[in-house]
Amino acid sequence: MKGTKSSSASPDKKTSGKRNQNKEQTKKHILDAALALFKQKGLEGTTTRQISQKAGIAEGTLFNYFKTKEDLALYFFQKETDDLIEWFHSQKHLQRASLPERLFAIIHRQLEYIEPYQDFIGAVFFRALQPTSTLSPLRFESQEHRLKYLRFIRSVLARAEEQGEIPKIGDLGAYAFGLYYIGIVTYWLQDLSRGKQKTLALVDRSLSVVTKLLKKGRWEW
Amino acid sequence: MVKHLKKGPLGRAARLMKLGAGLAGSYLGYQLHRPFINEERATGQHRALRQKHAKQVREGLQDLRGPIMKLGQALSMQTHFLGEEMIEELSALQMHAPPMHTSLMRAQFKTALGKYPEDVFRSFEHQPFAAASLGQVHWAVTKGGESVAVKIQYPAMREAIESDFKAIRTAGFAIRLTGHLQDSVIQETERGILEETDYVNEARNIEHFEKALAPLGFVNVPKVHHDLSSDQVLTMSRVPGLRLQEFLKTNPSQQVRDKLGTGLTRLFFFQLFRVQALHADPHPGNYLFNNDGTIGLVDFGCVKYLKPDVVRCYAQFWSREWVHDRKLLAEIIHVIFGPNVSPDEARVRRCMNGIRAFYDEFHPLNIKNEPLQLADPKFMDGLARLAKILVKNKFLSPEFVFLSRTESGMCNLLHILKARVATTQIAREWMPSSLVV
Repeated sequence: MKGTKSSSASPDKKTSGKRNQNKEQTKKHILDAALALFKQKGLEGTTTRQISQKAGIAEGTLFNYFKTKEDLALYFFQKETDDLIEWFHSQKHLQRASLPERLFAIIHRQLEYIEPYQDFIGAVFFRALQPTSTLSPLRFESQEHRLKYLRFIRSVLARAEEQGEIPKIGDLGAYAFGLYYIGIVTYWLQDLSRGKQKTLALVDRSLSVVTKLLKKGRWEW
Repeated sequence: MVKHLKKGPLGRAARLMKLGAGLAGSYLGYQLHRPFINEERATGQHRALRQKHAKQVREGLQDLRGPIMKLGQALSMQTHFLGEEMIEELSALQMHAPPMHTSLMRAQFKTALGKYPEDVFRSFEHQPFAAASLGQVHWAVTKGGESVAVKIQYPAMREAIESDFKAIRTAGFAIRLTGHLQDSVIQETERGILEETDYVNEARNIEHFEKALAPLGFVNVPKVHHDLSSDQVLTMSRVPGLRLQEFLKTNPSQQVRDKLGTGLTRLFFFQLFRVQALHADPHPGNYLFNNDGTIGLVDFGCVKYLKPDVVRCYAQFWSREWVHDRKLLAEIIHVIFGPNVSPDEARVRRCMNGIRAFYDEFHPLNIKNEPLQLADPKFMDGLARLAKILVKNKFLSPEFVFLSRTESGMCNLLHILKARVATTQIAREWMPSSLVV
């Protein structure tokens, strides 16, 4: 997304590192302010002006970081993916767990992350259907982030392939999982059971069925 | 189907249980059948192949979950429908939620109590030590340092059961038309299963029994940790003792065996006549034994509260006064068969004659012949014979189902324990004094 102008050429790496850190902090600060507003007023009902006011910065500064609310949303998902990957690698017991458990843990972590912002997520899903939206899966901006996620899933599946848990399914597996995740979020958004338990059960059962099917099937053409 | 008769008390108990399963194919039947399923399977090696096939069917259904699974359960209770092995496998579907891996277990714990287990316990074992109906049980240590067992329910069981039953009502229209699946059966099954999904209800049962069994002095019941429980998580103190099989490995003396057997028998009759409620899940794993003669009783998911009238009738069976007293007989028949049933009706007479014959043989008025061994296979055969007569003649009191289930469960334990017990004497100890002859 935005400016990497000075970072690589800078003679003083420390300063530039710090600057990037500050920048990142500001972005997070803006995102937090925006999310608080989205929670209150929804994605549509919140203006960029309100966001800058809430974050205590000039509206112009806000535009330096995020051109639109959709950019903000995209940033939210980038953060979410970064959090997920970092968290996953820090969980020692997951490295030994079965594939269905690892995938379950991934989805559960993601759902837990977006849980406080349900309305916002719902609105974003709707927006993403419009081809002009930054959030559309067909837009390059969102694809960059998407690819990061898919690569991560691919690495998880690759390990299961190496260990013989599932046959080789290549990148297809990651794509399928990405679609599956979208389906799960759609179900989750409408799940009115306490603590969204029905989603937990659905994810658990479907993952174990799919893994079993994968094991049985012939996937090499 | 194969008519290899299973030998030994387990086989007998199993046959008795089958009768229960035939009993309208309902939740009651299932309750009667359930505790013996595992033992039965363990003894029947020669049926391995058939079982393997049946198992595949069950696993298939288990994967699918949803209505088909529940329909499988309902069918499993229709013994005349399917083969023996198939029934056993299908019965295993009953309320057996799939095991939860650590990640799901933690997630579910959080939805039930708002926090992860490691946030509320000092330590928590991620590997469950037992499967429970609808969930699994883990060992843990509270922040206060107490060892506890934590029962966690599989997510959304209640919703799944409710929606499955809705689907069965719609989809099962044809089966209901043919009369193979009655609406009342479906309703009763649903009610019974739903009740077991509510751990708050179970906690109430535990507390009821804790108080009620206190006078016995030798029975330990877990204590509920309410702050660490909800309707889907139940935290209970760890009850000391070993399961029967492990306990027997410690080579207890005959004296200890007799003491424990006597304890079990007293526990049964005390529940029946004084508490008027039964811990009705006589699975061997629910009893814990100690060398000092104390007994631990766990898992109160299935408890039957008995109507005082029924208990009185049951006590009167022992006294046999009704044989000569028409008025008393009419009362008993009113309680058991309902109003407007004449004592002269053929089926009523067949039932009452069966009851009389059973009591004459096994609980004689003259108790010089004690100790009567409930563990004696003859007794179980007698009980099975009686059950058959009663079921055939539509003696459909739910109390009877739970009673025989608990009683035969106890006989099973006594048999394995090889205990000698003065049964009739014990029964009379707790009977309302007016009835003791």
